Amino acid sequence: MVGDGGGASRRALLGAAAVAGLALSGCGATAAPASTRPAPAVAERDLALLLAALELERRTVAAYVAGLPLLPRALRGTVQQFLSEELEHTGELISLVRSVGGRVPARPNSFQLGHPSDAAGVLALVHELESAQIATYLSTIPQLSPGPVRAAVASILTVDAQHVSLIRLQQGQAPVPSAFVTGAE
Amino acid sequence: MILPPPEPQTRRQLLRGAAARTASAALAAAAAPGAGGVAPASAAVAVPAASATIDRLQRLVRVELLLEYCYRQVLSSTILRPDARRAIAPFEGHVEAHVAALEARLAARGATLPPGPASVSQANRFLARRRVGGRLGHLRGDQDALRLLLSMEQVVIGAHFVALLKLSEPALVELSAQIMATGAQHDAVLRLLLPPHKLGSAAPYGLVQGVQ
Repeated sequence: MVGDGGGASRRALLGAAAVAGLALSGCGATAAPASTRPAPAVAERDLALLLAALELERRTVAAYVAGLPLLPRALRGTVQQFLSEELEHTGELISLVRSVGGRVPARPNSFQLGHPSDAAGVLALVHELESAQIATYLSTIPQLSPGPVRAAVASILTVDAQHVSLIRLQQGQAPVPSAFVTGAE
Repeated sequence: MILPPPEPQTRRQLLRGAAARTASAALAAAAAPGAGGVAPASAAVAVPAASATIDRLQRLVRVELLLEYCYRQVLSSTILRPDARRAIAPFEGHVEAHVAALEARLAARGATLPPGPASVSQANRFLARRRVGGRLGHLRGDQDALRLLLSMEQVVIGAHFVALLKLSEPALVELSAQIMATGAQHDAVLRLLLPPHKLGSAAPYGLVQGVQ
């Protein structure tokens, strides 16, 4: 997409995200080991909450894929791992949605991701998206039932919180700035 | 009459005072004329659920107090190298805030606040019971200390994971999820301080549920 030191246009970034989305189509449902486990039953009223979380996870996956080429080589391995974990989250959410016969919407062809043109811009973007996921999960989890669904979604939240800490470190910020994760960090 | 200035109270003393006042108020209300000392039927029905919630909160406080004790012991020693000490120094305060938040929920229910470990040997017995490797006072270096703290953070994360299976009150669920997520952040930083000191090894799993 973009050579080293080159700037990426917004169109290029969005295009890459779209291509990445196509390339990864279906991976979210199959890549996660969690999807091989029987999923806890989800109340149908919780479907909308889970689908909103899935949309955010897919957006974050697209951002990682699109941003990867803009990152220094030393950071790419880590970010690829984060990407793989985000795919696992999509798999877990898809599994929960399907457990009540919910329909999983097709992955959008592209996402509005802004126009980061360098590593700092990519880190800021994924920081923002991971934080948005945390805030969403914190408001969603108390509304979910039964308990196993709450706990399953919380096990996703914890990993997104870890991602934010490690991204903050890369940005020269304190990794755990507060005693209570809120998604505003 | 001039009263001496009040002695500074610790957070736990303040919370215990609040718990005692809440309990006294509840007893007074039950004994008040008209109350008849008998709980209304709806309250009687709610007792088992409330009791289960209190039990769960007490379990969380116990495990958080053990973690707080471990941080205090490690940070008050000279076992950590300076960069590790700097990195984890704020965590003791975080855990203290978690304890305070959970104790406040218990106090609001007029429940007993569990005590923390009274000594290193008692803390070590609690660590053994939870199958945490390493013993306070016998740590051989900073990696031993960091591994013990990491293991305890995973126990705390696991305790909150189980709590989320059991708790249903939205405010408690949110609090437990927040603390669980912060514990996972501590976990990542502690991992980063251990070999191989790589970002990728600091968040190695896609789903984190701690140790139950």
